[in-house]
Amino acid sequence: MTMLWDLSRIYTRTEVVVPGETLPEMFWNAVRARGDAVALRQKELGVWSSLTWRQLGEIAREVGMGLIALGFEPGERASILSNTVREWLFADLGILGAGGVSNGIYPTDAAAQVEYLLRDSDSKYLFVEDEEQLDKALEARERLPGLRRIFVADTKGLRGFADAQVMSLQDLRALGREHHLKHPSLWEERLRSRSPEDLAILIYTSGTTGPPKGAMLSHRNLVYVLRGYNLCIAQDERDERMCFLPLSHVAERLGGAYFALYTGTKLNFVENPDTVPENVREIAPTVFIAVPRVWEKFYSAVQIAIAEATPLERWAYRRAIELGHRVAERVVSGRPVPALLKLRYRLARLLVLDNLRRLIGIHRCRFLVTGAAPISPDLVRWYLALGVPMLEVWGQTECGGAATVMPAAGIRPGSIGTAAPYNEVKVSPEGELLVRGTSVFMGYLNQPEKTAEALRDGWLHTGDVGTVDGDGYYTITDRMKDIIITAGGKNITPSEIENQLKFSPYVTDAVVIGDQRPYLTCLVMIDQDNVEKFAQDHDVPFSNYASLCRAREVRDLIAGEIDRVNKRFARVEQVKKFRLIERKLDAEDEELTPTMKLKRKLVNRKYADLIESMYREPG
Amino acid sequence: MSARADDGANPVEPILRLANVESAYGPVKAIRGVSLAVPPGSIVTVLGANGAGKTTILKTISGILDPQKGSVLYRGEAIQGRDPAWIVRRGICHVPEGREVFPLLSVHDNLLMGAYTRPDRDEVMHDLEAVHAYFPVLMQRSAQEAGKLSGGQQQMLAISRALMGRPELMLLDEPSLGLSPKLMREIFGIIVRINRERGTTILLVEQNAAAALGVADYGYVLEVGRIVMEDSCARLREKEDVKEFYLGMKAAGVRGTRRWKKRKTWR
Repeated sequence: MTMLWDLSRIYTRTEVVVPGETLPEMFWNAVRARGDAVALRQKELGVWSSLTWRQLGEIAREVGMGLIALGFEPGERASILSNTVREWLFADLGILGAGGVSNGIYPTDAAAQVEYLLRDSDSKYLFVEDEEQLDKALEARERLPGLRRIFVADTKGLRGFADAQVMSLQDLRALGREHHLKHPSLWEERLRSRSPEDLAILIYTSGTTGPPKGAMLSHRNLVYVLRGYNLCIAQDERDERMCFLPLSHVAERLGGAYFALYTGTKLNFVENPDTVPENVREIAPTVFIAVPRVWEKFYSAVQIAIAEATPLERWAYRRAIELGHRVAERVVSGRPVPALLKLRYRLARLLVLDNLRRLIGIHRCRFLVTGAAPISPDLVRWYLALGVPMLEVWGQTECGGAATVMPAAGIRPGSIGTAAPYNEVKVSPEGELLVRGTSVFMGYLNQPEKTAEALRDGWLHTGDVGTVDGDGYYTITDRMKDIIITAGGKNITPSEIENQLKFSPYVTDAVVIGDQRPYLTCLVMIDQDNVEKFAQDHDVPFSNYASLCRAREVRDLIAGEIDRVNKRFARVEQVKKFRLIERKLDAEDEELTPTMKLKRKLVNRKYADLIESMYREPG
Repeated sequence: MSARADDGANPVEPILRLANVESAYGPVKAIRGVSLAVPPGSIVTVLGANGAGKTTILKTISGILDPQKGSVLYRGEAIQGRDPAWIVRRGICHVPEGREVFPLLSVHDNLLMGAYTRPDRDEVMHDLEAVHAYFPVLMQRSAQEAGKLSGGQQQMLAISRALMGRPELMLLDEPSLGLSPKLMREIFGIIVRINRERGTTILLVEQNAAAALGVADYGYVLEVGRIVMEDSCARLREKEDVKEFYLGMKAAGVRGTRRWKKRKTWR
């Protein structure tokens, strides 16, 4: 049982763990070094099956050689449209090994978006997960003359389907095996065909305005940043991690999959996005990187469990978490934890907190990493109170994921940590955070103006506004574009208010509005599970989601939450009115980012009428 | 903030209202907080797959099952947890799933059993005629043992037996179960007639969504013990999720066939 005040299980590694200046070179060195060790696991039909490094290498070669046999040239692009399953990685490693450029597309994207991304990236080949994703590609292909072939990983439901352009992943691999027998030296040649400066992967970032932009990362960017991660929060072959966030997002692609390829951490692929809570408990990862939404969900689940517990259990939880907070507070502020408090906390861990950790599945975690969206400092403190160090990282796709990292030895909730040792960070005179280093990307594909906007004088302009303190800790106040200037001329950073609101178990997300307006208002997305539970417990009749949102008691509940948050702010910064979003949103809705957060611009536009209604009626 | 007018609300007071009802079989919670309203004189349907909790709702209303939580209001009076016999006398008749006629009694006696709670012999005879008018075959088989009727005839008998109680509210549990399409149409036609001619309010629970949406005014969709959607039947029929998951209609897609299921959004 390691304790929050004991940081011996968080360490850094300065040496290069696996050499290689391009991603394929690095991967194949890892295959040679790790051979029969387990590289990844996937749960299929309820059974976990594992794959060794040697097997993973063979599959990657089959896929890559198959592509080469079909005419794939170095530097050409291919896309992957799939949930996070091991075939995603097979395709990715095959594409990269063959000297290609790999691009991921969100499985929740609609056919029109898929079409746009395939065209913009000039993809010659497309890997799809299954029948459902295939249909999107088939809808779009007439307008995509550059697309040569589509490969389907899971061919269920396609028995009677034959199409010259569509091929199963199995068949591609068989083709690759054959081609390798005929041309045994070709694969090695292709692996060497790329130099570090060459484009390796594309990651499309969801622009809040305009179409998505394809951020170009070179092999050098990737290899450099992976080595860099180990300088901050190292992991190795003994670690287990869960692969579950979309691989088309930088967090799972670099921070998850590629970092695991570099360090040898075992990758465990979940069954599907809905089984994540069960799968965490099964896997019991030792390192865990996720977005705030996931941490909020876990917290919510625990709150529900506590609410349904016996009075004794609730009392025990309150006492234990309070002790946890006291310990966390001391550790965070760098003060020693007195022996008696340590003893009591050990007891609290044994009796209560460790059970909660087990309930979530984080009982083996050495540390948790949160990033990709702002997180409530209170939520970070809660995980600290459970006894797990939670480290916030900040960055973006354009700088390889993370540019600042919270030092484990000096956690400060609310801050994004200090500049990562592998890049420079500074605050511009306008207050914008700038990043410089080898991890900074090559630019946006096909968008020289956007690239010039982002890269000025060698510095990446991140668009995030923040400050730095005397110890080098950075704090984000908001997105540059999101700062609200009320009609009264007051500058307000909405995310500060929103983050406080999101800590309420009843609020999943909130968007504060008020630019050029007399006062602040807010759109709220409720947490369905917790609000349903509230309604059931308080005899509030409701049928579906919309009727739940319309219930007076539910509105009063949210009003209460807003009042609570308002107390922490000055009068002009208080939310005067709010509305609930009555539509139940999920990943396929354009209002949500891939990390399941509301998109401010889009919400402002889409709910314009609702917003106007808050300014029409007398205050 | 001011609450917006609840657009699902009815100006007429519902004859039956369920609020946050939770019922369980032992540790297994079958309905997890169901709220619904049945306006007088209407046909309201609850759609749902096997195990969604449809039958449990009806059993809770008719008193066979006591809810763990929530209230059942009939004409403004709380009836949850009351004795089924008491509830029947209030004018709620339950036509159970799978007919459940008394197999060894004659058709005639089965019908009289339905009128067991009523003292007015003349009125009962009058209703017997009405029932015979709806289902002439029951008159022909009057003396036959009910167990020897065909499935469709047993269903007719079960409905008729409930009618003999002169209910104001009839609870129908899957009347289409095991019937041929032709017979089902016939029975649904008569259900509508009963509603129109006698003014009987009907709460109809069905797996056969197409048939139920065809006759009902308002519908609820129940999934694993919770209502996920409610609307007028005309509007429900147009909802994407209802079409795909309950009416078996789906866009053919580019390949002409598709096996995968959309994610349910219920909006």
